[in-house]
Amino acid sequence: MSRAKRLMKELQAVRDDPAANITLEFISESDIHRLKGSFLGPPETPYQGGRFIIDIEVPMEYPFKPPKMKFDTKVYHPNISSVTGAICLDILKNAWSPVITLKSALISLQALLQSPEPNDPQDAEVAQHYLRDKESFSKTAALWTRLYASSNGGSGAPVEKEVDEARLYGIDPNLVKEFESQGFDKVKIVEVLRRLGIKSLDPTDNATINRIVEELLK
Amino acid sequence: MTDLESDDSLLLEFEDDDSESISNIDAPTDSKATHLDSDFANIPPHNVDTDDSEFDIDESQFSEDDLEDDYLVFPIKKTTKDLLDEDSLPSLKYECLTTQEIFDSMKRRVHHLQPVFSLPPQDILILMQRYDWNEERLLEEWTEKMDNLLIESGLNTSGESDGRGVKNGKEFFCPICCEEILTETFSLECGHEYCIDCYRHYIKDRLNHGKIITCMDCSLALKNEDIDQIMGGASSVKLMDSSIKSFIRKHSNSYKWCPYTDCKCIIHLKDTLSLQEYSRLHASRFVTCSMGHSFCFGCGFEIHAPADCRVTDQWVKKARLECENLNWVLSHTKECPRCSVNIEKNGGCNHMVCSSCRHEFCWICGGDWAPHGSSFYQCAIYKNEDKNKLVADTPKKTLRRYAFFYKMFTEHEVSAKLDWKLGETVGFKVKGLQEKIGVSWIEGQFLTESLKTLNEGRTALKWSFAVAYYSDPSHNLTKIFIDNQGLLSNAVESLSELLQIKSPEVIMKRRTEFYNKAGYVKNRTKALLECGRDLLRKGISKARE
Ligand SMILES: [Zn+2]
Ligand SMILES: [Zn+2]
Ligand SMILES: [Zn+2]
Ligand SMILES: [Zn+2]
Ligand SMILES: [Zn+2]
Ligand SMILES: [Zn+2]
Ligand SMILES: [Zn+2]
Repeated sequence: MSRAKRLMKELQAVRDDPAANITLEFISESDIHRLKGSFLGPPETPYQGGRFIIDIEVPMEYPFKPPKMKFDTKVYHPNISSVTGAICLDILKNAWSPVITLKSALISLQALLQSPEPNDPQDAEVAQHYLRDKESFSKTAALWTRLYASSNGGSGAPVEKEVDEARLYGIDPNLVKEFESQGFDKVKIVEVLRRLGIKSLDPTDNATINRIVEELLK
Repeated sequence: MTDLESDDSLLLEFEDDDSESISNIDAPTDSKATHLDSDFANIPPHNVDTDDSEFDIDESQFSEDDLEDDYLVFPIKKTTKDLLDEDSLPSLKYECLTTQEIFDSMKRRVHHLQPVFSLPPQDILILMQRYDWNEERLLEEWTEKMDNLLIESGLNTSGESDGRGVKNGKEFFCPICCEEILTETFSLECGHEYCIDCYRHYIKDRLNHGKIITCMDCSLALKNEDIDQIMGGASSVKLMDSSIKSFIRKHSNSYKWCPYTDCKCIIHLKDTLSLQEYSRLHASRFVTCSMGHSFCFGCGFEIHAPADCRVTDQWVKKARLECENLNWVLSHTKECPRCSVNIEKNGGCNHMVCSSCRHEFCWICGGDWAPHGSSFYQCAIYKNEDKNKLVADTPKKTLRRYAFFYKMFTEHEVSAKLDWKLGETVGFKVKGLQEKIGVSWIEGQFLTESLKTLNEGRTALKWSFAVAYYSDPSHNLTKIFIDNQGLLSNAVESLSELLQIKSPEVIMKRRTEFYNKAGYVKNRTKALLECGRDLLRKGISKARE
């Protein structure tokens, strides 16, 4: 089967290029459908210092149909779902060509971390954060990288024992405290602020405060 | 082959029971004929009690002499389209096409455009695809940025065609399948070379996407001749087909597929502006494909006049929602209410005569036929038992009311389907006329036309129950509408009965009756449609959730 031959060739090519710092392996030797790949977060981005693990499913028609890829590592990025790890990238859909390899696809994902496309978002909440306040977005993305993608921590296992929910979504902790002092539940406050896309607030902006309270009272 | 066989057998059958059928049919029809004659032979009676109806048709136009002349010289030829193109509505200009026809006309355009581009036709075809077959936009951008346009469209601008094409078998390592074998290869001028198998796989996967297929590694476009050369056959036809299909999808305002199963027709509406006028008037824009399928251009549903698209949509949704509450079996057989013998419905006629006890009853309500046969068709009226009590609609009562209209609707639907079956035998009847009595084909067409008229009448009747359901029952116009339903019901039943006659001699003898009854159905249909549209226009009938 040509698909097996091609995949073996692709794995060899990854091994032959250690400088790229990319890994690509079958999950089990008996199943050539499923692989795991990984790459490093690009330098000078909030993803620097993290290793991102990608789940790969190779269809029967590969390489004429694109592989299915998603992030196993939780990542805060406009084009990647913060919940499921699903990726919005054209080469994995209609722009796929048989000359693209798993390695080049992983490099494209690395490049996606470098340059987000907030106008074609996969995660609307994150994309909004990115467009409204890039600096705050970067802080959150860097926090997620530290929490979920640091090489020592590995995927899914947070380094810090307890992560503050507000901080996790880039919300100003003082804002949450403010509403907590009014007697609202913290989980609910974070939920509402996330839904409304509010990360911080000018204390004189009464219209927004009223809107938040209205939502909290629902 | 099978067609011929069935033809023969049916013809034989026809001949076989001919002598029998005359006696068989003549006996009952004799009595029936007088009954029908009294009602209809000399044009419908004028004293129908819908006196104040503005929708009553001018029946004086139906003097028998006129009819004979008109219909003999021009056999009833009006199509559904004509019938529905009321004076107040702009006529729809449309054509029926196939993807091949659309593609052929595109090719003619390409031929036309060649002097402008001075490129080979294949290249212009690529440019047209890139611009979704939008010639104006292509020409506009062509004058602005020729060279860029060529590059963007994947056309080789170097002027050389070196290296393009299938190459003879050789030992080759293909980077796609990673095989190293003796194989033919293909590449474009870019030199990106792959084995022929991979190229075939690649193209096959993309033929249905309707987009330009490029080299696997760069943006150079494969032309139709490349595709055919690689695939070894006329595969580019498939690509053009899918490209035209995507063109139709993108222009769904003016292009629509015929919704009938397996029909490959596309209706191209030439003046989309008139559509707005149609919705304003609560009329629907019905079109007929070249296979004779009629449908609504607005909603893709069958012809649903007098209902407009909104009423149709609501009605269909409601039927789907209520179908579990509505427990009617739409069987083709019913028990005789008197002797319980099973009787199969013959054609769409609702006038049932029990084969065993000769009891005459109505298929819809099961009641005696006698009151139905008079000028007023009882069954079209919903008898509200609580008429005198002015209580608010309870859900149960609402459902019962809906159930009545739904039952009427489906009964007419079943009747229409049975009439359609009847139609299959009409063809043989026409043949019989030709062979037995030497009637010319064109003269025999009155049978076909009568059947068509019958179908149009049934369809209008069927959908009129959707309009009636949503109508304010207390309004006078609603009452007039119901009267009109009754009149059309009668007309349709009577024409349907006439079409059951099998003997060619009897058919020819009663030919005038066919003309008259068909003409009457046509006029009653028109009146009902106009009245229904008026109900909608005046907001007396309004579709609700
Ligand atoms: Zn190959
Ligand atoms: Zn190329
Ligand atoms: Zn059709
Ligand atoms: Zn419609
Ligand atoms: Zn009986
Ligand atoms: Zn009845
Ligand atoms: Zn009926």
